[in-house]
Amino acid sequence: MSTKINLTLKVWRQKNAQTPGHFETYQARDIDTDASFLEMLDVVNASLEREGKEPIAFDHDCREGICGSCGAVVNGQAHGPERETTLCQLHMRKFRNGDTVTIEPWRAKGFPLIKDLVVDRSAFDRIIAAGGFITVRTGQAPEAHATPVPKDKADWAMDAAQCIGCGACVAACPNASAMLFVSAKVTHLNVLPQGQPEKTRRVLNMVAQMDKEGFGNCSNHYECEAACPKGISVKNIAKMNRDHLVASIAG
Amino acid sequence: MSAKFGTLLGTSVVKKQIVALTGLIGVGFIIGHVAGNSLILFGPEAINGYSDMLHAVPELLWIARLILVASLVLHVYFTILVTLENRAARVDRYALQANHGETNWAKKTMIYTGLLVFFFILFHLTDFTFPDKTGPDTVLTGSEGEASYGLYGLVWNSFLSVPRSLFYILAVCCVGLHLSHGIQSLFQTIGFFHDRYTEKIRLASNVLGALVALGFSLVPIFVILRHYTFGPDV
Repeated sequence: MSTKINLTLKVWRQKNAQTPGHFETYQARDIDTDASFLEMLDVVNASLEREGKEPIAFDHDCREGICGSCGAVVNGQAHGPERETTLCQLHMRKFRNGDTVTIEPWRAKGFPLIKDLVVDRSAFDRIIAAGGFITVRTGQAPEAHATPVPKDKADWAMDAAQCIGCGACVAACPNASAMLFVSAKVTHLNVLPQGQPEKTRRVLNMVAQMDKEGFGNCSNHYECEAACPKGISVKNIAKMNRDHLVASIAG
Repeated sequence: MSAKFGTLLGTSVVKKQIVALTGLIGVGFIIGHVAGNSLILFGPEAINGYSDMLHAVPELLWIARLILVASLVLHVYFTILVTLENRAARVDRYALQANHGETNWAKKTMIYTGLLVFFFILFHLTDFTFPDKTGPDTVLTGSEGEASYGLYGLVWNSFLSVPRSLFYILAVCCVGLHLSHGIQSLFQTIGFFHDRYTEKIRLASNVLGALVALGFSLVPIFVILRHYTFGPDV
């Protein structure tokens, strides 16, 4: 049964990267508990617009937890309190009437702020461009049985490929490190036979690009894994470390 | 390889792997050190004999010392560098940050326990390694004809001071805390992950950290208890 709740929101408002930001307090009234977190923000924005105020800027696209566009730090947790759930799939029934909810953007040097809760995640695109691809022959699709893939490797690659590049790992990391994202992208190709030709270059180039973007170093606190809406495992980080070690010595 | 060595040294993964490998050398040394220390509980002959054995081939001793000092310097340099980079990676802090991963006290204080241990090592060397092992500090109270008890006497007399013993215990607890995160962390950093063994490594890392702290603490505790319960040290 859906009910209505009232919340106090403390939202990070920042006009642009050059202007210092601050918290603004809003009342979110009559929020349906069946609404998603983003729908709640829509309701608040509608009332802000009615009052002639600037609505809260936030990123979103599919609103079904698969695109990786949305995300904010809610009460100190990336994507909010629900495990393995993106912000758009977080429902207001997880909150109680009268709660105060603090909403902040991802905070990292590698993700410069654009406006309010919107950050620039194009650093991830540049990391992908540095090595997140394989070489394929154009023309007809190859026969599916031509390249045998062991079941455990196929499962591992599929698990790693679940990463939607939302940036929650960076947001949750005490060092704003992008190791979980980069390792998921390196590993899902490096464990497959199709990814072998570029294996060495891939890990060296993607890690180098990651460093260039100003992300921190991994200190094995595993906050990333806990915050990841797709449950990407830190074993991918170990795998990337191993591949990088082999590539540095033998590559 | 040589052309890109400088570039590799600048990457976060390589920096951390240097920290991991130099840390591993430190872990090996510390386990040997705890084992060697426990000989003090078996009297002067045991520990002094062990010390003489280590000093038997000076060339080997100096090679070992060189490796240890180099490891320590690299470890400290790269951890400070990595920590500064990590701080710079998040300029704006969160108003609220709730940890739900595996963040704990030992992990958060690595840089502080590490720095404390570094300065403790400097103090510890001037305390036990550099001094003369036959001087007046090695004579135990009540020994006949002012006989020297070598390293055993030096350690014994040093730990008779309760504040100094407490300081040593605090320092070795930092060593233990540092290892409890360090050992499991180094496996992850050099790329070892196993669906079954990694859990066991994490457990072993915590247990080993506690055992090292306890093992090192035994010596000052033993000296103080024996001195203040049985009187004369000989």
